[in-house]
Amino acid sequence: MTIAVELNEITKSYGAFKAVDRFSLQVERGTVFGLLGPNGAGKTTLIKMLTTLMRPSSGDALVEGFSVLSAGKSVRRVIGVVPQENNLDRYLTARENLTLHARLHGMRPDAYNPRIDELLEMTGLAARQHDFPDTFSGGMQRRLVVARALVHEPRVLFLDEPTTGLDPQSRRALWEHIRGLRHAMTVFLTTHYMDEADALCDRIMIMDHGASLADGTAAQLKDAFSRAHVYELELRGDGQGYQELFAGLPFVRSVERSGSSFRLTLADEDSLKPLMDCLGGAEIRKICLKEPSLEDVFIALTGEKVRE
Amino acid sequence: MFRGALSIWGRDMLVLRRGILSELIAVIAYPLTLYLAFGFGLKGYISEVGGVPYPLFIAPGLISMTAVNAAFDESSWSMWFHRRVQHTIEEYRVTPITVYDIVIGKIFSGFTQGALKGAVVFLVIALCTPFRIDYSHLPAYLLCLSISSMTFSCLGTICGTVIDKPENIGRVQSVVIVPLIFMAGIFFPLSSYPAAVLPIIKLLPTTAVFEGARAALLLGYLPPQYLINLLLSASIAFALAVYTFNRKMAE
Ligand SMILES: Nc1ncnc2c1ncn2[C@@H]1O[C@H](COP(=O)(O)OP(=O)(O)OP(=O)(O)O)[C@@H](O)[C@H]1O
Ligand SMILES: [Mg+2]
Repeated sequence: MTIAVELNEITKSYGAFKAVDRFSLQVERGTVFGLLGPNGAGKTTLIKMLTTLMRPSSGDALVEGFSVLSAGKSVRRVIGVVPQENNLDRYLTARENLTLHARLHGMRPDAYNPRIDELLEMTGLAARQHDFPDTFSGGMQRRLVVARALVHEPRVLFLDEPTTGLDPQSRRALWEHIRGLRHAMTVFLTTHYMDEADALCDRIMIMDHGASLADGTAAQLKDAFSRAHVYELELRGDGQGYQELFAGLPFVRSVERSGSSFRLTLADEDSLKPLMDCLGGAEIRKICLKEPSLEDVFIALTGEKVRE
Repeated sequence: MFRGALSIWGRDMLVLRRGILSELIAVIAYPLTLYLAFGFGLKGYISEVGGVPYPLFIAPGLISMTAVNAAFDESSWSMWFHRRVQHTIEEYRVTPITVYDIVIGKIFSGFTQGALKGAVVFLVIALCTPFRIDYSHLPAYLLCLSISSMTFSCLGTICGTVIDKPENIGRVQSVVIVPLIFMAGIFFPLSSYPAAVLPIIKLLPTTAVFEGARAALLLGYLPPQYLINLLLSASIAFALAVYTFNRKMAE
């Protein structure tokens, strides 16, 4: 397998605080890699180090084999960057924003003009190309930033929360673009949205406090957590008195009740039979195994507390 | 190496071209007011300074003042705006150019603005002045104007790089730049200073800017001590601007 992005014990400290702590990772070429984590986890810091905007305090990273420490210019030649905050030039039209980017990449007009036409078409901005970006909606601005990052046909595309603040239609449209890039280039994105990671990413890493917590495909991550046996049980009648009964059973780990529905966490699959037995004559309307969502995995790993 | 600097300068010139008319009116109004108010308002009180009619005495300094102010303004605000507001500097920095390209492109944009606006004020004053200007003196004057704009563009770049709060850029202008400009004798001859202070005043970079400009335009000759001062100030300011920006970006 060919490695597009490689991080070796990369660390970024702000004084005594470590925003990214000895982070190591290898991303295979041609994949869509998703980095998930709550606010302040260190995602942006990591991307800034990979895109040469920030120097690591220690460790190194290679992008397409070029070191961010010693070959920054070569790294920048092969990457496209969509930052967390749009940084368009509001004094230049949409097209001029793309043109300036192409020039900074040393492209010639006969190379960049057709490419820009194509990207404007693809992002649906062709009709607005001579307008200034501050007359655009948030979704249009975001698409323009993505188009700008693609002008020079990068080999690795970094997207920091590409769809934050977009409506469902715009998000889906952007996902389509990103899916279209898969295999042509390596995509390294961060997101807070589990459905986004689920829909887009070949591989997901969940991080918090500057370190990795879990790593794998969406299915693998969910699988690892489905060993928690959570069942939803609905009874006929009002379910009065059952909460105490369930809580008293040795193989029931936890009980949550809302009306006549219960959410039970059992010790293992073998607990299902004794549970049925002790329910006896009670009428069961529904019982089902609850599949964990990626969000459950995320919350289980990073906790429920809101970050300051 | 400077392809990137050229692209950034090109971007600034494109934006400048779009708003040039309103900018020029704004830029001409101030020196022209000073020229009319002081040059002609005071005519009854001050007729000549060292044999030169007063309006003519202040004209070269007013033109240079416009140029250096414009250079400082453009460099400081533009650097601040691109760094703190639009974050366009970050966009430049993820392309394969160097920080030198960015800072040099920005310095040249400030320089161009200064030189351009100075030239326009020169034309306007030349048109409305009753005094004859010897055009063979122009090369020496333009040289002086260019080096001065360069220095102030570098100083502006430094301010725009290290200062994060916009109000502090305004403070530097009114506490450092304006006094330095007015102390340098745009409106009065340096001989008005007490003998004890004079040697220090003569060493100020702004004195070289304004006294040099006056000597160049009126006499067609740039005194060597001023030329050296100008070149030295420009070189130091340039090195400092590049160094400061480089340091700031490495944070
Ligand atoms: N310049 C800075 N000085 C000090 N601390 C900083 C600085 N920049 C970031 N941090 C800290 O580093 C940590 C990681 O920040 P980072 O922006 O990488 O998080 P993030 O995962 O991108 O969060 P979000 O999802 O909110 O964008 C945070 O705790 C933040 O407070
Ligand atoms: Mg972030």
